[in-house]
Amino acid sequence: MTYIAGVDIGNSTTEVCVGEADLNGSIHFLTSSSCPTTGTKGTLSNTHGIKTALKQAMSKINRNMEDITLIRLNEAAPVIGDTAMETLTETIITDSSMIGHNPSTPAGAGQAVGEILLIDNLSRGVSGTAYIVAAPSSFSYEEVAALLNQSADSLDITGVILQADEAVLVENRLHKKVPIIDEVARINKLPDGVPAAIEVALPGQTIRMLSNPYGIATLLHLNAEETRTVTPIAKSLIGKRSAVVLKTPGGNVRENALPAGEIYLEAENSTSINLDEGAEKIMQVVSDAGNIRDLSGQPDTNVGNMFNRIKKGMSEVDNIPDADIHITDILAVDTMAPVLISGALAGETCLEKAVGIAAMVKTQQLPMQKIAEILKSELHTDVKVAGVEAVMAGLGALTTPGTKLPLAILDMGGGSTDAAVISEEGRVIMTHQAGAGELVSMLIETELGLSDRHMAEQIKKYPLAKVESLFHMRMENGQMTFVDESIDPRFYGRVVLLAEEGFIRIEEDIPMEKIVQVRQDAKRKVFVTNAFRALQKVAPDHDLKNISNVVLVGGSAEDFEIPEMLMDEFSNYRIVCGRGNIRGQEGPRNAVATGLVLSYAGEIQ
Amino acid sequence: MIIKKPSIFIYTNEPDAAALTEICAGIEEEGVFFELKEMETSNLDDLAWNAANDSMLGSGIAIKGKYAALQMRGLNKGRNIQSYQNPTKEQCRKLGANSARAIKKLAFK
Repeated sequence: MTYIAGVDIGNSTTEVCVGEADLNGSIHFLTSSSCPTTGTKGTLSNTHGIKTALKQAMSKINRNMEDITLIRLNEAAPVIGDTAMETLTETIITDSSMIGHNPSTPAGAGQAVGEILLIDNLSRGVSGTAYIVAAPSSFSYEEVAALLNQSADSLDITGVILQADEAVLVENRLHKKVPIIDEVARINKLPDGVPAAIEVALPGQTIRMLSNPYGIATLLHLNAEETRTVTPIAKSLIGKRSAVVLKTPGGNVRENALPAGEIYLEAENSTSINLDEGAEKIMQVVSDAGNIRDLSGQPDTNVGNMFNRIKKGMSEVDNIPDADIHITDILAVDTMAPVLISGALAGETCLEKAVGIAAMVKTQQLPMQKIAEILKSELHTDVKVAGVEAVMAGLGALTTPGTKLPLAILDMGGGSTDAAVISEEGRVIMTHQAGAGELVSMLIETELGLSDRHMAEQIKKYPLAKVESLFHMRMENGQMTFVDESIDPRFYGRVVLLAEEGFIRIEEDIPMEKIVQVRQDAKRKVFVTNAFRALQKVAPDHDLKNISNVVLVGGSAEDFEIPEMLMDEFSNYRIVCGRGNIRGQEGPRNAVATGLVLSYAGEIQ
Repeated sequence: MIIKKPSIFIYTNEPDAAALTEICAGIEEEGVFFELKEMETSNLDDLAWNAANDSMLGSGIAIKGKYAALQMRGLNKGRNIQSYQNPTKEQCRKLGANSARAIKKLAFK
């Protein structure tokens, strides 16, 4: 009995398929498995992942890894995807001149103007001056209320700023009601004696005066020039339930445009473009440039550093000198990132313009032969590097029921989107495009301001629901689901991800609709753009109309909405497009591994 | 017709004064009404379950000595949402806030 194993090392997943070959060369598929790729694709550390996957697959048929007669590795394309994000603008507050945030329970309503007076210095206040009192959390709500009530007759107190979450508690105990803002974390940064304006919106509304430059000017008596400088403050306070604006002499909010730098394209038509121009222009230039030999960035600018980082990371992995590494393709995507404002008092963020870039790094050749040798000596089996990845993927994709040549495949993985067209005669044209699943994760992470990439990966993978009571939840499509057994209170009122193994709680307080929108936009921006770019490159005469069938394979084809998005777009070109189903059972995964086993049959015949 | 304010019920049995104050403050900050009642029952789970079921809002708190628990209508007795033995000031404040947030359908703190 001969067991043949096909092994496909991808950017993020290593896939294995095991088949049995009988004497006349026909193949009988037995088992398959997949596990995360260990290390960067095409490096020696991949062997751990390969062995794990092989062991997994063989244990499913109660066999050992040593029973395998031949392992066939893919001749992995020497391209690796990488991603980076660059913010183009930043907002800086000098002299801490504003606080605008959404405490869940401010108290009172309306605006107030007065000098900031720390509660410690209450005795120093003089009558006839309006004051806004600031109290740190070391004062309890009872103390604050008592102190304010005591001085209510002698001082003119128009508003209160609290550090603790106690606005309602204080207000309920005040004889004279004033607007109160709470949860201002860095209250110690408030300068004593500075004129300030505070505003608390009516329930269900957002602030109106402080989000309007003329409103600020009215309250703080600003001249035309000063009003111009507070415009960014007003802008960043739009939509807030409460705000504080201070009139500090040197205080200012600046919106800086960061020098983003030029991208140089070394191509058929060499050219350059500034990153500031935005994703759309950059992509136009990239597509006009023709075949790209290398991309680089203006030295000592953001983009220059970014490209250097990508190339350096790649050379560290492979010990290949810098010159042998080229960036052959990029996908640029416009995005907005919530960035913590430097100098903010209550952790405010501002949406800044940013560009996300995925780059395709090309090296001379990946050391697949070395991996093969190591596997050979460790497993004592024959190991062969066989076949070009795209051809193997095509062979595997053809095992999908309902397919025939000519056929286009779109392999959407973690690092790159690859396309290949296989003609009736078996000729293959292929391309590798930068940008795939990892870029989507990065976009989700930055646009939602998440703290880690893992959460973004999960959001990408699973649909959402909002737990509305302990016994029911609303799915993202509006459907209601009721459960018999009460839902864990940890999920109460939260947006959760419906993963296979249960709920995953999203820690950040972001509305479900916003997450859905960001997720779908990210997928569309990356995969729809790339699918068109890739297929246009490989289509006969570069015309999509010359393609009739597209089979989607790869990890991102498993996604619950990407294939539908593509189907929708391609139906305009009368292209039959759908998620592959390798060997009628594997879904869109395992195409290359299956192709590797199949190609063995072709070789011995 | 008897008109009663919709409120969270707090059933107590010789409660710790400090814990009670903080729990009430937590509810007050969230802007929900509450009613206090000293009960004969000394079982924390019973107190909490009864409070939740008697409250028009379906949210109840039990405080017995230095024990405190939060319960909601519809849950089985003993399956408290939160319960503490010897809670800190912050835990009490949060327990109170959560009993109110349960009604407002906001995530717990």
